[in-house]
Amino acid sequence: MASKWYLRPPAWLEAFALVNLGFLAPDIYLAHATNLFHHAAEYVPFYFSLAAPALLAAAAVAAWRGAARRGRWLGLLVGWGAVAVGVAGLVLHLRSRFFYEATLESLVYTAPFAAPLAYTGLGLLLIMNRMVDPEGVEWPLWVLFLALGGFVGNFIFSLADHAQNAFFRPSEWVPVAASAFAVSFLLAPFLFRVTRSYVTICAAVMGVQVVVGGLGFYYHTAANLSGRSASWFDNFVYGTPALAPLLFPNLALLAFIGLWSLRLHLPEALAAGDAAAATPRSLT
Amino acid sequence: MSFRSVFVAVVLGTALLVGAFLVNGYRPRVVTEQPTADLIRASGKCAECHANLHYSVVHEYELSRHAKKGVNCLECHQPARGQAPLDHHGFTIAQRLTAANCRTCHEPVYQQFLRSRHAAPSWAAVHGKADFTEEQVRFAEGFHPGGVDRPANPLVELEGKPAAVSGCVSCHAVGKPNKEDGTIGTCTACHTRHTASVEVARQPRTCGQCHMGPDHSQIEIYEESKHGVLFEAQHKLMDLSVEPKRLTTREMFVPTCATCHMSGLNGMNVTHDPSERLSYNLFAEITTPRPHAARAQAAMRDLCRNCHTQPTIDRVYDQAEKVVAATNDKVKAVKDLVDGLRKDGLLGKKPFEKPIDFAYFDLWHYYGRTSKHGAFMGGADFVQWHGNYPILKSAVEIRAMADELRREHGK
Repeated sequence: MASKWYLRPPAWLEAFALVNLGFLAPDIYLAHATNLFHHAAEYVPFYFSLAAPALLAAAAVAAWRGAARRGRWLGLLVGWGAVAVGVAGLVLHLRSRFFYEATLESLVYTAPFAAPLAYTGLGLLLIMNRMVDPEGVEWPLWVLFLALGGFVGNFIFSLADHAQNAFFRPSEWVPVAASAFAVSFLLAPFLFRVTRSYVTICAAVMGVQVVVGGLGFYYHTAANLSGRSASWFDNFVYGTPALAPLLFPNLALLAFIGLWSLRLHLPEALAAGDAAAATPRSLT
Repeated sequence: MSFRSVFVAVVLGTALLVGAFLVNGYRPRVVTEQPTADLIRASGKCAECHANLHYSVVHEYELSRHAKKGVNCLECHQPARGQAPLDHHGFTIAQRLTAANCRTCHEPVYQQFLRSRHAAPSWAAVHGKADFTEEQVRFAEGFHPGGVDRPANPLVELEGKPAAVSGCVSCHAVGKPNKEDGTIGTCTACHTRHTASVEVARQPRTCGQCHMGPDHSQIEIYEESKHGVLFEAQHKLMDLSVEPKRLTTREMFVPTCATCHMSGLNGMNVTHDPSERLSYNLFAEITTPRPHAARAQAAMRDLCRNCHTQPTIDRVYDQAEKVVAATNDKVKAVKDLVDGLRKDGLLGKKPFEKPIDFAYFDLWHYYGRTSKHGAFMGGADFVQWHGNYPILKSAVEIRAMADELRREHGK
């Protein structure tokens, strides 16, 4: 493992989790403001998102000063907390409507049920980063697997959210298509043994996600800036979710970390008869 | 590089995308084929909050014909012309719904309503013509002379605003002018709000919200009548939800108020002007024929013929008209007496100053009306014990009071 921190994928993964948890604070604030924080429980992820980055920063400082054990436990605490927040959020979001009606319509219009799983994903990343050997091939595969899970969420999100708009503009299908291919390309390494070339293709597919997310952010923001509410804040709270498209570049970044690490474990080309074997031999 | 990985990735990605198209294809067309993005969002987004905040509102809407036809929340709640817009969690809605919102789809119905006594005359009966535009007054007077171009009811001032607001206005607001959009009244008084129901509007109890009590005891009379008794016994066998233009005596073989006064039974014209088939101003102190009385009575007789023979209809009209004439005579005799007292300066210049003012008001406003309504609606007890008997008793008492007043003043 490289000695410089910025050359070590686990350090980037830790930074990724820290920044994401922090970023979730304003995101959750906007999201739950649409519901006027109707239930007290809606404050839990907001406050958790404020506290978690501070705790992770403390964990990083502790690890840097040599108190690795303290840093590990702090990270695990945040990780398990995030998992709990995410799972509870999933259940509560579905409980808002879907559990009563159990219809496709209620799944579309219920509180975004997959959204809280962002916490669970980040929590699992933090836990994984402390439980899996970063030198082995298992580490990048777990990162890719969680990025894959994130893109599955993006696929569902972009489908359900734009369904609320009945795909009024055909361009609303673009993120659905983009996330579908992100899922399929990230899935391949779990089905077949892949090469560095495939990692390069995957990186390109992730690059497309960055572009799609950037365009989505632009269009969502532009729609809100010309929104019909008199209040700028209301336009952002009740209009299109401006921050949601940023999940695409965000998850692409996570995938880049995984691909970067995975690439170090892969051959340039496969030997004859190797092609059918899945990469994650050690992912058991 | 393994082409198999790339191939499988492309196939899987395409499959996911096709799956998304298929799932989206299952969404109801009433949701996906709305003309604007706001209307699409409203088809589910409104219920997302309101199902938690006011479940009944959403549930009642879901039961409605509006819901079945894909009319969503925003279609009714968006501001009509002239209505002030209100920012509401990402939607622009009207602050208050009026007939202006309903008429965007139901214009002919609104025009029928506008000609009725439910419209301007209803509000004017409480507040006079002050709240109406000249055009509105002129229009309504064309159908109901003296119904709108009139002063406010003196009882409003005497009883005070709180009584008027919580009392009179609760019913008479059915014809309240909506100054911001220029319309009159609200359809929800009869059809209710989120059910927007023809079935509810056809229930006798719906009319009975206002047409009850001693001054217009139609619901009590109906309940006493054979019509009301049969409805009570057989309403579960009826279908009051049938579309107005398709309603027949098979679904509504027992009449409710709406059947006789508004419905298009067996192909007849539907009307939202309940006066359209009425030939007399029974509400008046001295009853006179309404404008176009002959045509109105012919329409009502046509309606009656859906269930009754001609001799029966003739007999009912003959008897009722005799009650009207007799009641007019009785009221007029007492009216002349009271007018004489006023002319001789024995009563105050303002209404409702002396006990005899109230006694006379009760005589025509309670007992006179009840007697006449009872006669037309088959309420025997209301013709007799709630009508003519109190008229007789009250007339005797008023004469005694008049004699006493004349003795006191030596006139």
